[in-house]
Amino acid sequence: MAVGESQLESGTDTVADEDDVEARVGWRYTVARIKQDTTARWGLYIVAAVLSIAVYAVVDSNLSLLTFGLLSDFTFARLLPIFDHPTYIPPPGEGTQHMPPYFPLAEQSWNPLPAGGTLEHPLGTDHTGRDYFTRIVYGTQVSVFVGLVSTFIGLAGGTVIGAVAGYYGGRVDDVLMRLVETVYAIPPLILIIVFTVFIGGANIWYAVIGVGVAFIPVFARIIRSRVLSVREMDYIEAARAAGVRDRNIIMRHVVPNSFAPVLVYATLQIGVTILIVAGLSFLGYGAQPPTPDWGQMLNISHGYMHSNVWLSIWPGLAIMITIMGFNLFGDGLQDALDPRIDD
Amino acid sequence: MKLLKYTIYRLLQAIPVLIGISVITFLLANLGPGDPVSLMLQGQEHSEELVRSIEQRYGLDRPLHERYLTYMAGLLEGDLGQSIHYQRPVADLILDRIGPTLLLVLSAYAFALATAIPLGIVAANRRNEPTDHASRIAALVGVSTPSFWIGIVLILIFAVKLGWLPSSGLIYPWRPPSSYPGISGHLELYYESIRHLLLPMIALGTLQMATIMRVERTQMIESLQGEYVKLARAYGVPERTILRKHAFQVAQLPIITIVGLNLSTALGGAVLVETVFNINGMGQLFVEAIQQNDYQLVMGVTMLLGVLFVVGVIITDISYAYVDPRVTYGERE
Repeated sequence: MAVGESQLESGTDTVADEDDVEARVGWRYTVARIKQDTTARWGLYIVAAVLSIAVYAVVDSNLSLLTFGLLSDFTFARLLPIFDHPTYIPPPGEGTQHMPPYFPLAEQSWNPLPAGGTLEHPLGTDHTGRDYFTRIVYGTQVSVFVGLVSTFIGLAGGTVIGAVAGYYGGRVDDVLMRLVETVYAIPPLILIIVFTVFIGGANIWYAVIGVGVAFIPVFARIIRSRVLSVREMDYIEAARAAGVRDRNIIMRHVVPNSFAPVLVYATLQIGVTILIVAGLSFLGYGAQPPTPDWGQMLNISHGYMHSNVWLSIWPGLAIMITIMGFNLFGDGLQDALDPRIDD
Repeated sequence: MKLLKYTIYRLLQAIPVLIGISVITFLLANLGPGDPVSLMLQGQEHSEELVRSIEQRYGLDRPLHERYLTYMAGLLEGDLGQSIHYQRPVADLILDRIGPTLLLVLSAYAFALATAIPLGIVAANRRNEPTDHASRIAALVGVSTPSFWIGIVLILIFAVKLGWLPSSGLIYPWRPPSSYPGISGHLELYYESIRHLLLPMIALGTLQMATIMRVERTQMIESLQGEYVKLARAYGVPERTILRKHAFQVAQLPIITIVGLNLSTALGGAVLVETVFNINGMGQLFVEAIQQNDYQLVMGVTMLLGVLFVVGVIITDISYAYVDPRVTYGERE
């Protein structure tokens, strides 16, 4: 999103020339402001709720797999979200209450498409009779996981490229920035689909990497613009005079001092990432069935629009609320970290 | 004349980026495991000889860098290669499909600008009043909602439930009315084409509207605090005139940049919206190309979307320089 970027870039040049501005930075002040800020607080509530649901879904889906004998042991490796998994199809006649209709990975069931509103199926069931509420809940893990991991990839890659480009300047800067501009020029969704399909085949892991790579440019640009002003600071000069190696200057001094605006941007970027991945899954290049995923559920429910309208509503609402949480929190964080804003 | 120099400078600056785009798309499309030859034969009985002759025909037997140079040489002549799936030149396919996408994207922008700018101004003028809060919530919802889902919801409400508007396809106003059955005369053609365009336009435009509105609001707030506004107030210029003339003009500059940079989201979003509304544009062409493993076509479409973005950004940069007298041309940072 270019909005935040331009605001950040214009904000960095005029920092700290008034006395009282100095007192308004630092973590304690930031936390205090987040507590005051209604927007940030609500964002935090939503993010916390979504994260808890995601963690619950990860643990619960692993436990169910264990119960059905599809997992031999409960290891830490399995605490990752379930992406590609064997499907449990119970023998006919064994469909008890707590078995497959609720089990989000089950491939088939017995009473497809009843509407929701019952205690048994609050949001109804999908075209194969799986409980929709369970699938919405379990879908949280994919969105949150993909959002966090690919934002992290973009942040890490962008930080390295942006810091190196900004610190060294000159030809290094030119080459790196042209590269960044190139990646930036291809619409992310297009780039990610081409990357996913031609490199790996439709698979959520390639999607995660692809989304991360596609968002390296935005982070690189912000970091670079910050580094350009930080590198002129006296303490950098001092470190250089003391003979500290470039790599250490970048990692210990330049990056930490350029990081705050990027962190805010990363929070907002999580929302954008989830938005993109939802689109990717909707087209069929994200999480593959039977993995429950919101975008993919919208893709499937698109074909059942006339038989059950609500199937197309719930996953979209879930996406919207999740992204809204991250956006609210990011907006609040931005206000809290920007010492110039005063209301 | 300075402006002309700046334009040329920006165009030259775009060349490495365009070359970069071609390298990236070429590498992605050619290093993948998908094998175009076996796709073409699609399970038919085939001899080694046939495979080799096809490879030769499409130049697939030559080393990668040679193929890239051939591809680039073709590009310079406007030849984007041959689509394997459609057995037609890629350039022809793109020309067939680019109209609907441009229509969709441009109308989405028109919708976004026409709604976002007045809303942003009202919000800024009534800062922290209920109107402001409502518009900020609307903007938040707008940036948080996937465009394709907005499309789905719009279809559910206006097409499935109410039956007011059609849910798929577009009617192109540049075609003769006789090419559509049941449409007689140009007036009806325009009417139908607007009816078909309305829902996809809103679906694609909402995100743009929300981002533009946010920027418009902050810019207007900042602009209203400017020295020139204080001066105008001191002179007793009516508030309405200040809002319309003094504050408004300055606040519009960043919007131009946003419109250019957001083109990338809009083009990506077009792929999704075209899928939801069954519109035969570039987005659909891209999806088909990916599904058919048609790497020539994928390269062509990706290249073109990249070029569209670069050109869009250059146009906005130049118009920015044209509108804002403070911009110095051609100097870096």
